[in-house]
Amino acid sequence: MLDEPYRWVEAIRNRREYLADQLEGASPVVAVSYADGVLLLTSTPGPRKLFEVYNQVAFAGVGHPADIEKLRKAIIDIAHVESFNLSASDVSLQRLVAFGLGPVIKAAFDEIFRSPHIARVVVAELDPSDPLETFYTIDADGSFASSADAAVVSGTMDSADAIVQHLLSGNDRTASLDAALLRALEAWAVGRVRGEQDDANETEQEPDAVTDEQMIAAVRAALEAGRIEAAVLDRTLPAKTKFRLLSESDLEGALARFR
Amino acid sequence: MESTDFLSLLKERGQLPSVHGAEALKTEGSGPAGMHTEGTTILALRYRDGVLVAGDRRATAGNVVVYDRAAKVLSVDDRSVLALSGSPANAYEIARLLEISFQHYRRTQLQELSLDGRLRTLSRLLKDNLPMAMQGIGAVVPIYITHEHTGPQAGGHIYFYDVLGANFETVDFCTTGSGSPIIRGALYFLNRWERPFAERDEADALRLVLQMLETAAEFDTATGGFRSTAAIYPQVMRVTGDGITDISDADLAMHYDSLQVRG
Repeated sequence: MLDEPYRWVEAIRNRREYLADQLEGASPVVAVSYADGVLLLTSTPGPRKLFEVYNQVAFAGVGHPADIEKLRKAIIDIAHVESFNLSASDVSLQRLVAFGLGPVIKAAFDEIFRSPHIARVVVAELDPSDPLETFYTIDADGSFASSADAAVVSGTMDSADAIVQHLLSGNDRTASLDAALLRALEAWAVGRVRGEQDDANETEQEPDAVTDEQMIAAVRAALEAGRIEAAVLDRTLPAKTKFRLLSESDLEGALARFR
Repeated sequence: MESTDFLSLLKERGQLPSVHGAEALKTEGSGPAGMHTEGTTILALRYRDGVLVAGDRRATAGNVVVYDRAAKVLSVDDRSVLALSGSPANAYEIARLLEISFQHYRRTQLQELSLDGRLRTLSRLLKDNLPMAMQGIGAVVPIYITHEHTGPQAGGHIYFYDVLGANFETVDFCTTGSGSPIIRGALYFLNRWERPFAERDEADALRLVLQMLETAAEFDTATGGFRSTAAIYPQVMRVTGDGITDISDADLAMHYDSLQVRG
């Protein structure tokens, strides 16, 4: 059946649709640079969604929890085998993505008779040798892209675009942690609202700008259903490991605006 | 469930270095004589605030001094250190595997490996190293020192291992390496009849540690002493509730001064 080329193309198209469907409702993950490093932020009903991969590398994903776990384990394994065989300073995000996670996701996507990974992934490295490789996003088909100042994975393209626009409009990589948290949280809310609009609105019309009230409602809904989770890669931390999950009190300043 | 530990992961991928668990080298007898460098004095003792761990800096091969700045006390994570006597190549490899295993476990499982789990990991590594040890070219005899922050085992602990991987906890102090027989009796005597180590403050404990290393260096050629002209100081680390910190050369120099040791 699949030996006919157009059938194969059709099968791939079906897969893309299936993945888009599955990922649609996902809560976005927002990643931005700030004065001391990199900040990641998302909402979760309970389980952790932001993770440490290596001393200076963090990981987050949207999608099926089991798939996210599989990918998280895969990238941690690669990083540690690499650091054992070579050295800690040879573990770089660019290589972890281009030769590790990217091909793993692509291989699963291409195998028509097996389930693809239902996941989009964002990874960040603190102070990589090329600043343009601070963030990588990897889509469910294994394609990846890098960026310097901010990165987003979300349920829909519209939602991700809205977040990126919001982030870049007030972009400041020298912002304090509190300022960056507030900006990331606003951007997250914009993406959340836009994602829900996408769900409801099947027509192609241009959506309205997201209002303050909508953003506040989105954050409140997330706090009722679970919590806002944030983590940093902070170059001022004295330990080898630069990853730190932020506590509720760290988040309080940014959340106050939405309560 | 997939294996969760790093050693199994390396084995699955065929990347575990051949010294660990691989085929024994096919050599007759006890291997090339003089290739192993295991003369050393390592000393760990529990004092009031935690544990002091010290090692001399000399590496020898037979009666040749190979190196005078060897590091034999290695931090494994933010609360534990490994002090090594034995074949340096295998010892460093074991320390490295241990460090990365603990990191890997913490990051994949989202929890710290328990003390028992860490002791067991080190046992496995030593057991895997047995073929090398049996041939007389790669024996490693570590002590593992940790300060647990929480739980029923909170506080400082010293464990020593035999070549086969069995571990034993010592209460007051532990010393290994070729210089250890020279100071062991003195340590026992001081702890029992002078003043228990557990009651001593850091300055007191540190002075004792430096005196013992000098004593070992006096009688054991494979243990290097303090040498101010070449700025060679022993390695001393404190393992306490605040984590692991090196005692600086400047601090050591001051203590040597007060002890009137002229290296």
